[in-house]
Amino acid sequence: MNPALALPNRRVEEWKYSDLARALGDAGFGDASAGVQMRVLPACVEAIELDQPVRPLWVSAHYGKLKTNAVSALSLAKAASGLALRVPKGQVVAAPLRLTVTGEGHTRLLLVLEEGASLTLLEEGDAAGTRNAGFEIVLGANAELHHVRLAPVSVAVQVEEISVRLAGDARYYGHFANFGAKLSRTELAIALEGEGSEAHLSGVSVLSGNAHADVTTYVTHAVGHTQSTQLFKKVVGGHGQAVYQGKVTVAKGADGADSRQTAKALLLGERAEADLKPELEILADDVKCAHGAAVGDLDADSLFYLRTRGISEQEARHLLIHAFLEDALSDIAHNELRETVRGAVSRALNEVAA
Amino acid sequence: MSSAAQQTKQQVAELGDKYKYGFVTDIEMERAPKGLNEDTVRYISAKKGEPEWMLEWRLGAFRRWQTMKEPKWARVHYPPIDYQDAYYYAAPKNTPLKQSLDEVDPKLLETYNKLGIPLSEQMALAGVAVDAVFDSVSVATTFKEKLNEAGVIFCPISEAIRDYPDLVKKYLGTVVPVTDNFFATLNSAVFSDGTFVYVPKGVRCPMELSTYFRINASETGQFERTLIVADEGSYVSYLEGCTAPKRDENQLHAAVVELIALDNAEIKYSTVQNWYPGDEEGKGGIYNFVTKRGDCRGDRSKISWTQVETGSAITWKYPSCILRGDDSVGEFYSIAIANHFQQADTGTKMIHLGKNTRSRIISKGISAGRAQNTYRGLVSVHGKAANARNFTQCDSLLIGGECGAHTVPYIESRNSSTRIEHEATISKIAEDQLFYCLQRGLGQEEAVALIVNGFCKEVLQQLPMEFAVEAQKLVGISLEGSVG
Amino acid sequence: MLDIKNLHVAVNGKEILKGLSLRVDAGQVHAIMGPNGSGKSTLSYVLAGRSGYDITEGSITYNGEDLAALPPEERAAKGVFLAMQYPVEIPGVTTMMFLKSALNAQRRSRGESEMDAIGVLKSVRAKAATLNVSEEMLKRALNVGFSGGEKKRLEILQMALFEPKLAILDETDSGLDIDALRLVAEGVNGLRSPSRAMLVITHYQRLLDYIVPDRIHVLAKGRIVAEGGKELALELEAKGYEQIVKDAA
Repeated sequence: MNPALALPNRRVEEWKYSDLARALGDAGFGDASAGVQMRVLPACVEAIELDQPVRPLWVSAHYGKLKTNAVSALSLAKAASGLALRVPKGQVVAAPLRLTVTGEGHTRLLLVLEEGASLTLLEEGDAAGTRNAGFEIVLGANAELHHVRLAPVSVAVQVEEISVRLAGDARYYGHFANFGAKLSRTELAIALEGEGSEAHLSGVSVLSGNAHADVTTYVTHAVGHTQSTQLFKKVVGGHGQAVYQGKVTVAKGADGADSRQTAKALLLGERAEADLKPELEILADDVKCAHGAAVGDLDADSLFYLRTRGISEQEARHLLIHAFLEDALSDIAHNELRETVRGAVSRALNEVAA
Repeated sequence: MSSAAQQTKQQVAELGDKYKYGFVTDIEMERAPKGLNEDTVRYISAKKGEPEWMLEWRLGAFRRWQTMKEPKWARVHYPPIDYQDAYYYAAPKNTPLKQSLDEVDPKLLETYNKLGIPLSEQMALAGVAVDAVFDSVSVATTFKEKLNEAGVIFCPISEAIRDYPDLVKKYLGTVVPVTDNFFATLNSAVFSDGTFVYVPKGVRCPMELSTYFRINASETGQFERTLIVADEGSYVSYLEGCTAPKRDENQLHAAVVELIALDNAEIKYSTVQNWYPGDEEGKGGIYNFVTKRGDCRGDRSKISWTQVETGSAITWKYPSCILRGDDSVGEFYSIAIANHFQQADTGTKMIHLGKNTRSRIISKGISAGRAQNTYRGLVSVHGKAANARNFTQCDSLLIGGECGAHTVPYIESRNSSTRIEHEATISKIAEDQLFYCLQRGLGQEEAVALIVNGFCKEVLQQLPMEFAVEAQKLVGISLEGSVG
Repeated sequence: MLDIKNLHVAVNGKEILKGLSLRVDAGQVHAIMGPNGSGKSTLSYVLAGRSGYDITEGSITYNGEDLAALPPEERAAKGVFLAMQYPVEIPGVTTMMFLKSALNAQRRSRGESEMDAIGVLKSVRAKAATLNVSEEMLKRALNVGFSGGEKKRLEILQMALFEPKLAILDETDSGLDIDALRLVAEGVNGLRSPSRAMLVITHYQRLLDYIVPDRIHVLAKGRIVAEGGKELALELEAKGYEQIVKDAA
C-alpha cells in the first residue's frame, strides 16, 4: 500500500483544517530519517541511539506504543534513527537538556522519567526539513517534566506527535511556541493514568504570510482526582491560519477530575483565519470542567486608553498584542527558557506588524 | 360541518379517484403501494391535486436522489434503511373517533394531566370526537378570521401550492435547495404534509401560530415540508409540536423547514417535542433527519430558534441561520434532556456572511440515567463578514455517574474584525443544593425540577408563554427517577 | 486655553451635542453638571479624540490650535489628559511598565529626552505615596482586580505624573465612598496651578464641595443651558435638574 494514500486529508475529521495529504503531495514524507542532536548530556541521564539493535529493558518496555494513526504509524515504521533518554529514579536534573531535531524524514524519540525524577527539556527543530516526528514521554510516579518546544518558522511540512503518559502524582508542564510552516501540526496525546497526576499545557502561535499552525490536543482523564489546564494564544497576521483542536475526555468513574481549557485568537491580517474546536466528552458527573474560546481583534477601549496617555497607535497595538500573549508565556517556569521564547515571539511579532 | 366530518367527506371523494390508478383499495388505511419510484411521486402529486410545475419539481428531486448516496455519520447508529420497504403516502388517519375520555389509555391521560394540558386539548390529542364535547370549529373559525383580516396566510402546504402558487414558487427550495443533502432531496420528492405561512409587509401576526390549531394534524407526517416567509417589516411566532408524548410508528423522519426573513422582519420558531422513548430500554427512539434552516435574507432581519426536546431522538441536521443581510441577527436557544438510555443530539450552525451580523447560542443539555447528550455547533465567519459578533454558552448538567455529555463546538473565522466568544461548563446537581430544598420542605422530585428549571431559565424565557409553562412541567417529568 | 464654539457631535449617526460653547482659561476649574444622557461623556470623549464621535459642526481650539485635527496620542503629548469614568483593565501589562511607556512616549513626542527606569520609579513613588497607591498595585497588571477607588486613585496618579495643561475629569466621583472621594479630591486640588485648566464633569454636587469650581455649566440635551458661580451647585441640589432646565428654556 502506498503510504501516501493512507495519510489523512481534510475529509478525516481530526485533520479537517490541515490537509496533510495535499500539503505533502505525491512524495509524501519520503523514506529518509531525520536526526536528533544533543549538545550536552547531563551526568545522570542515560541516552541510547534508537538505531542500535540491542535495546535495554526500559526502552523496549515503553517504546513503540504511539502508533494510533497513519502518521505516527509511519514514523514508527520508517524512522531508522532517533534517541531514547532516561532519567533514573529520584534524579533531579538541574540544567535544561537541549535537543534539536534536524533534517528531513522520520524520527522517533523516547523520554522516560522514573519515579521521582525531574527534568527540564528544551526541544527545537531546524526550519528546513519536511519532517514527521514521534515523541513518546513516560512519567513515573511523582516525576516532573517541564517541556518547552520551540518550532521555527518553516516553509516545509512539519508534523510532531507527542504522547505523554502520567502515573500517579506525576506532573507535565508543556509549552509549545510555533511560528508556522507550510503545514505545521503539533499533536499531543496526554493520558492522566494515575490519581493526583496533572498536565498543564500552554502555547503561543505567531503567524504571518501564508503560515499554518495546527495544535491538536487529546487529554484523557482516565482516573479521578486528576487535573489538566490548557492555555493557547494565537496571533495571526497576513494569510496565516491558526488551528486549535482540544479534546478533553473524562472517563466514567473519574470523579474529582478538573479540566480547564482556554483558546484565544487575535486576527490581525484581513485574510487571517482561526479555527478553534474545544471539545469535551464527559462520562463522570462529579467533575469540574470548563472551556472557553474566543476570536477577536484588539479591544478598542484599551487602544483608546493607551493613546490618550500619549502612546502612539502603533506602539499601543504592539503593547496590547504582547499583553495578549503574556499569560501563556508566563506559564514557562524556567527563567532562561522563558526569555528565549519571549525573544522568538518578539521577532515573529515584528514580521506580523510589517 | 365539523372538521372531522369534512375529513371523512374528503376521503370518500378520494376513494373514488383511486380506481383510476388501479391501486388496491384498503378500507382501513389508504396508501400508495410499497416502494419508491417515479410513479409513487406522480401518485402523491396527483393525490394533492398539484399543478404541473410542482410535479416537475418533485420529479427533478427524485431523479437527483437516485444518484445520491446516503451519508454515513460517525456517532449515529441506526439499522440500514431499506427505502423500498416503506409506504410513501398515506391518507389522513381514519381511526374511528372515541366518544369520550374513558376510552383513552389512562397512562396517557395521567401524562396530560401532569403537563397541565387543558381538557379540551386533551380530547383533541387523544382523538376523542371533538364535536361531542367542545366546538372546535368555532375556535378555528375565529382564528382564521383574525388571520385573514391581517392578511396572514397560514395553511397546509398542499393548499398553498394550489392557492398561492406564485408565492410558493418564489420561495420554495431557496433556503434548502433540492440538492442540499440526501434527506432534503428525498423530502423534496415525496413530501406530503407541512405548513405554509406568509406574513405580508409590515404586519405583526396577531397571534402565535401553533400546530394545535391544525386540528387535522394530530400526528406528524413522515416527510413534512414547512415554508415560512416574513415579508419586510413583519413579525411571526410559530410553535411546532406539543408537550404530549408523540407516539409514532415512523422511526424515520426527514422533514425540511425553510424560514425566510426579509428586511426588518423577524421570525421566531419554537419547538417543544417529547419524543416518546418507547420503553426504558431506549428501544424505539426516533431518527429525526430534519433540515431546518433560516435565511436572514434582508438587512436587519432576525430569526430565532428555540427548542425544548426530551426523549430519544437523534437529529441529523441542526437548525441554522444564514446571516446574509447586513445587521441581521440569528439566535438559538435549546434545552435537550436525555434520561434512561436515551440519546440526544442537538446543535446549530450560524453562518455569518453579511456585515455587522450577530448570533447568540445558549444550549443547555441535561443527562441522567445512562443517557448521552451531544451538542454540536458551528460558528463560521466568512471573509467578507465584517464586524461579526457571536456569543455561545453551552452548559451541561449531569445527574448521576452513568450518563455522559459531549460538546463539540467549531469556531471558524476568516475575518479579522470578528468577535466570537464561547464558553462551556459541566456541572452536576450539588448535594447541598438538594439538601437545602429538601430541608425547606420540597420533595425530591420537586427539588430536582426546581434546580433544573433554574439551570434552564434562560432558554425557557424565550418560549411563548403558553408553551413555557408546559415546557417547565415537561422538564420536571422527564427527569423523574433520576435522583435518589 | 480651551475654546469650544458651537460644537455639534454625532455618535453612530445620532446627534448628542447640539451646539455647545465653552471657554476655559488657564488656572481655572470649571464644572460641567447635567442629568444622565445630557452628553457629558460625549464631551469628554470628543475632547480626547475617540473615534466614533464625529464633529458635524463647530470647533475646538486648544491653545490656538485646532484640537480636532490631532490624534489622541498627540493631544496627550500636548498636555490634554482625560481621567476616565471607567478606566480600562489591561491584563498582561504591569502598571509600572505602562506608566514608563506612556511618559516616555509623551516626552519623545515633545522632543524631550526620555526618563530612565530609575527616574520614572522615583517620580512615581513620590506621587504614589500621597494617593495611597501601593507598590503592590504598581506591580499588578493595569487596573486588573483593582477596586473602584483604586482605579480612580491610579487615574489621578497618572495626572500627577504626566503634568497635563488641560485635565478633564469624567465623573471621577462615581462609585467612591467619602474617604476615597476625599483622597481623590485632595490629589486633584494639589495639582491646581495658574498654568493648568481643569474641567470637572459630574452628576452630583457632592464632589464640588471638595473641588470648588470657579464656574459651573449645566449641560442638558446636548447644550449648555445655564451658567453660574459655585452657588449654582447648591441651587441645583435644591431644585433638581428639571427645574433649572425649565427655568433656562
